Amino acid sequence: MTVRHGQIKAPTAHKIGWYMLQATVTYIVMTAALWCVFIYVPTEKAQGIVQRIFYFHVSSAITMFVAFFIVCVASIIYLWKQAQWWDNVALSAAEIGVVYCTLVLITGPIWARPIWGVWWTWDPTLTLTLVLWLIYVAYLMLRADASDAKRTRFAAVLGIIGFADIFLIRWSVVKWRTLHPKPVVVQEGGTTGLPPSMMVTFCLAMAACLLLFFFLLRERASLAQRRYELETLRDEIENELVR
Amino acid sequence: MFNSTGFFQQVIAILAKDLRTEWRTREIFTFMFVFTVLVIVIFNFAIGADPETMRKVAPGILWVALLFATVLGLQRTAQLESEEDCFQGMLLALRDRSVVLIAKVLVNMCYLLVVTLCALPLFSIWFRIDVASHLGPICLVLTLGMAGLSLVGTLFSTISINTRTRGLLLPLLFLPLSVPLTISAVYATTDLLQGKRLADISDYLTLMSVYDIVFLVLSLLVFDSVVEE
Repeated sequence: MTVRHGQIKAPTAHKIGWYMLQATVTYIVMTAALWCVFIYVPTEKAQGIVQRIFYFHVSSAITMFVAFFIVCVASIIYLWKQAQWWDNVALSAAEIGVVYCTLVLITGPIWARPIWGVWWTWDPTLTLTLVLWLIYVAYLMLRADASDAKRTRFAAVLGIIGFADIFLIRWSVVKWRTLHPKPVVVQEGGTTGLPPSMMVTFCLAMAACLLLFFFLLRERASLAQRRYELETLRDEIENELVR
Repeated sequence: MFNSTGFFQQVIAILAKDLRTEWRTREIFTFMFVFTVLVIVIFNFAIGADPETMRKVAPGILWVALLFATVLGLQRTAQLESEEDCFQGMLLALRDRSVVLIAKVLVNMCYLLVVTLCALPLFSIWFRIDVASHLGPICLVLTLGMAGLSLVGTLFSTISINTRTRGLLLPLLFLPLSVPLTISAVYATTDLLQGKRLADISDYLTLMSVYDIVFLVLSLLVFDSVVEE
């Protein structure tokens, strides 16, 4: 039996330079954001100490939407171009998006308990987040359940349809009375409702969440890529042995 | 690619085939109908005998019963087609695959509407609700709702029947995606039963129509990737 090296593509080398750069920047920004949230920013008068959770709550929520948007775009490109990389991106973004969604669903009630007096209320924004969590958990379960050949295409279909559904869900749940605080970061007319120190802290937390998301996304997607290449190699070796 | 006479002939052929099979066995209809009735009865026990409360939650119960029946019915229709590779045969026979999607959606819609129409009189009697005087508007809401449910349902039952657990995943995929439809259908029905007119619930009707159109277009676009081997 001869192994022909030429046919087997060498696995993608992990680009250590990018990894180090991304990791360092994420680490620095995250530390700065944490310092700002816990030490630098003054405590809000009306809500007290619990308001500090807002910085990471809102930025996690925004990152979650970015993640699900990436799932949708990557799924469309995957169905169109059939390139494995985009499926990896969709899977990774969905996994990390579910983690951020879970964070939003955990930090929200912690804030709501002292402020609203209840852990949970069926307010549109809360309901939307919960339904999104259910949809994308189903997405991950579908990926785990389908057989290899069809798994990626089914998941891509759900990734596209799930994102389109977000707007319809939003529209339908707004039918209820809104309890959720109106956005104060950017108000009408482009002025901000936040004092500068809080604005800086929020921006840092936002940047930290997004940086962490893209760092994890890259790592997770390249892990998926290497797993895919390993499986391809294994198949090729098996074929070679059978022959 | 899109030959309209051929298209509708093919859709009608598949529709007729499925309805004929169903007429001979009456399997799916019986199952869905008995199940819907059962869910309504069980909810009666769960909510208690207070007639005021029951009347308030009645539209919700009706839609929950129909949603659950949809899941089970869809599972069965998808299963019937996957036996002996019927579905593959149908796809091979037709050049335009959207024919299969449209025909299947119409078939599922037929089942759902027939089951609903049979369950409505019982619903009306048990909850002491006068459905008959609002029958027209309610049928419109039901048709819009059923169209959306069978669109999403057909797409995802085709997906879930091809997974390892053979359809177990369907409710998990289908129920969260149908949230907008459920909300608007339940509230539209409630408003109608409280004596409001069609013009008062136009918001809900718009939402349901938009949902139906969005999912019709999306399903047509992605159906090829779902059934491709």
